[in-house]
Amino acid sequence: MSVYSFYIFDRHTECIYSKRFTQQPSPPRTTSSTLRNGTTVPPSLRQANKDSDDAKLVFGTVFSLRRMCRQLGGVDDQFLSYRTAEYKLHYLETPTQLRLVLLTSPQVGNMRTVLHQIWATLFVEYVVKSPLAPTEHTGGKGVGNELFEGGLERFMEAVFRPQQQQQQ
Amino acid sequence: MGRGTWGCRYELHSLLSLTLTQHPALLARQPSPTTNMVVFALLIINKAGGLIYTRTFAPGIQKLDSNDYLILAGTFHGIHAISRSINPAPPPPPSSSSTPNPSSSTTASQPAPQLPSQPPSSTAGNPTRRRPHTTGIESLESSHFRLTCFQSPTGVKFLLFTSPEQPNTDVVVRRCYEMYGNYVMKNPFYSLEMPIRVEKFDRVVAGYLVRP
Repeated sequence: MSVYSFYIFDRHTECIYSKRFTQQPSPPRTTSSTLRNGTTVPPSLRQANKDSDDAKLVFGTVFSLRRMCRQLGGVDDQFLSYRTAEYKLHYLETPTQLRLVLLTSPQVGNMRTVLHQIWATLFVEYVVKSPLAPTEHTGGKGVGNELFEGGLERFMEAVFRPQQQQQQ
Repeated sequence: MGRGTWGCRYELHSLLSLTLTQHPALLARQPSPTTNMVVFALLIINKAGGLIYTRTFAPGIQKLDSNDYLILAGTFHGIHAISRSINPAPPPPPSSSSTPNPSSSTTASQPAPQLPSQPPSSTAGNPTRRRPHTTGIESLESSHFRLTCFQSPTGVKFLLFTSPEQPNTDVVVRRCYEMYGNYVMKNPFYSLEMPIRVEKFDRVVAGYLVRP
C-alpha cells in the first residue's frame, strides 16, 4: 500500500504540479547518453527531461482514456481509475477541468475521496486562495508553495502510513 | 375443505419447493461466476492493434458504428503500450541469491519514442539479468462500466465490457480466451490476425455470455 507519484494538470493541458514519492533507480550504466547527432546530455538534464516526459505520457494516457469512456458510457460517464499489475492510476477531474492523477500500488482501493480531499482542503485552500498565486499557473507557478507541499506530505503520510503501521 | 386444507397445501407446496432448491443437481449449478452476469460487449484486438471481433450482448454502453469501434481498438492498443512504460513502481530490492532486477522503471524510464516492447539495449553489466515483465492495463473503472483487458502471450487482447459490480471478470475473460483457442485457432480455415468470421465461435460465446 504505497503511493508512487502525484500529478496535477490544468485545463490548458499543462502539468502544473508533479511529485514523486519513491526514489527513482540510479541512472543506467553509461554516465551520459548521446543523442543522434553526437551531443551528450548531462544526467541532471536527462532526469528533468524524463520527468516531464513522464508527465506528458500520463496526461496523454489519461486524456485518451477519458475520451474513450465518454464515447462508450455517454456524456456523463467519468473515467475513475485503471489498474495494471504494477501500479494503479486514480483520476479526478474538477468542474474547472483541473485534473488530479495519483499513481499507487495496485492493491489500493478507491482513492476518489482522497483526491477530492487533496483538491478541496489543500489545493483550494493553499493555492487558489493564496493572494500571491496567479490565476493561471503556467509552468507550475504558484502551485508548489510551502503550505501546499507540506500539507500534501502530511496528508499522504496520514493516508498511507497508518495502514503500514497497522500491518506490523 | 376450507382454510385448513388450503393452508396445508400451501405448506406442502413451500416444503416441496424448499427441497427442490436443495436438490444436488440444482445446487451444483448455482455457484458459477456467470450467473446474473451482465456483459455489455466483447472486443478482440490482434497483435497489430486491429480489431478482429466485436460483439455487443446487453445494452449498457453506447452504440457505436463499426468505424468507431476500429478507432477505439487502435487507441486502446496504443494506450495499453504506453501504460506499460509509465510504470512508476520502484524496482524490487536486489536480493543476494536471485539476480538483481534492475527495474521495470529503468526500462520504462526511456522516453516515449522507444517502444516499450523492445528489450533494453545491451546492458553492459549483469549477464544473468532477466528483464522483468511489465504488463499493461488489466482493468479500467468508469462510472458506468468496467473494462477488463486480458492479453494473451501472443499479444492478442480480449476486452470485456461489463457492469462495474460484475465479479470475476478475469475468469470470464479467460474462458473467452479458451473458446477463442478452441473454435478460432483450431479452425483450419481461419487466417491469423484476420477478422473472426467463425459461426461456431459466435454461438459458443453468445451461449456463455448472454444469460436469458
